[in-house]
Amino acid sequence: MSEYKTFLQERDRIDFLVQKEYKITNVTESLNGAFVELENVAEDEKEMLHIITPEGRKYFAVVLIQQQKAGA
Amino acid sequence: MADLSINLAGIESPNPFWLASAPPTNSGYQVQRAFEAGWGGAVWKTLGDPILNVTSRFAAVNFNGHRVAGFNNIELITDRPLEDNLKEIYETKKRFPNHAIIASLMVEPKQEKWHEIVKRVEDVGVDGLELNFGCPHGMAERGMGSASGQVPELVEKQTYWVKEAAKTPVIVKLTPNITDITATAEAATEGGADAISMINTINSLAGVDLDTWNTIPHVGGKGSHGGYCGPAVKPIALNMVGECARHPRINVPISGIGGISNWQDAVEFMLMGSSSVQVATAAMHHGFRIIEDMTEGLNNYLDEKGITSVMELVGKSVPKYTDWGELDLNYTIVARINNDICINCNKCHIACEDTSHQCIDMLKDDIGNDILKVREEDCVGCNLCAIVCPVDGAIDMIEIPSELPVMTWNDRQAALGAVGCEVDIVEK
Repeated sequence: MSEYKTFLQERDRIDFLVQKEYKITNVTESLNGAFVELENVAEDEKEMLHIITPEGRKYFAVVLIQQQKAGA
Repeated sequence: MADLSINLAGIESPNPFWLASAPPTNSGYQVQRAFEAGWGGAVWKTLGDPILNVTSRFAAVNFNGHRVAGFNNIELITDRPLEDNLKEIYETKKRFPNHAIIASLMVEPKQEKWHEIVKRVEDVGVDGLELNFGCPHGMAERGMGSASGQVPELVEKQTYWVKEAAKTPVIVKLTPNITDITATAEAATEGGADAISMINTINSLAGVDLDTWNTIPHVGGKGSHGGYCGPAVKPIALNMVGECARHPRINVPISGIGGISNWQDAVEFMLMGSSSVQVATAAMHHGFRIIEDMTEGLNNYLDEKGITSVMELVGKSVPKYTDWGELDLNYTIVARINNDICINCNKCHIACEDTSHQCIDMLKDDIGNDILKVREEDCVGCNLCAIVCPVDGAIDMIEIPSELPVMTWNDRQAALGAVGCEVDIVEK
């Protein structure tokens, strides 16, 4: 699968959780990409996404910045 | 007709083009010929205790038919008596009072030595001084030139000593043979420098002869590292000028040096913060008359831009030069191949396939002709295909409007830091 398609999948997974009111609560960056922890406080649910593509690692950061601006 | 005159820390000249301290400024005869040709200023070949030179002094690096892409020399400072140089400086200044004559100086790092030479050269009417803390060969082995220029404390102290005695503006010429030129540039300003100039030459060996195994150049079968200059060093010099120009604690004018060969190069250096530019290799390659094209080209450029004074160019691109961490990660360009112009040499495909991101496909069009097409979603906008393409206009780099907001690396890391980002150095 092309890297672009992998990115599209990663973006969809992030967008899906964001639409369900999840917020990024923690990020662990490693040699194999980023592990992004998202939490839905109302539902008391957590999800972990492993984001490996460069575009995906940019994308979740954009989402995080938007989330921080909205919460400021 | 735009005003080409400049003022660098109080040194005025009718145009920004100065001959750099080098073989072209070895004598009054040469400098006067240069001024007659139209050069605005000259930095006299470095004065100091007369040295001894070797024969076989220069070597050039040619590249793909381009002669003197780079130039290497092992010549030292002046080998002529100081009195002879001073007499010729006096005569030249008398004949060309409106042209800038700057004396390049190099002595041992001793206060009394600097005081003595400063007084003697100022007595003959120079417009300014340039301290040679940059020559990388010969003199450095004796504790002068780049040996001084690589130690910020020595740069500051010697600049201070010169300023104790100097009545004219003091330019400190910096060596590029250092990890961070802003360290020595800042030291020069701390010592009181009125301006800085850069770059001096870069440590180099032009080549090795494949038959004799001698170095190029060699002196009776032995070689020694020299100083590299000419067009090949321009990007290095331009970066160093830009780094100093944007540094918050370096607030003195800059005279740019390094591979400047035409008016376009001069404009680039001025946009990056140079108030004057110095030229040596191009004059050595083509003669003093190149100044005619340089001044004419610069004047036409300014007129076309509607700029009345060349000084208005100085530093205009500096705000556009920043740290990598301040670049927008979401800015996107992609390659687009114009098959009407493309000659199907496939160099872009090979470059992309072998050494970049494998996103140029070799396809057939509707009538069976070979065409090349970029898969834009996989293109990272590296520019390599456009760089290797031999046909102008065959590949355009197109800006793709991003759906995402501007986000720099610094923005990203700040955001991650705010949520408790961890960096796991152990593979998961």
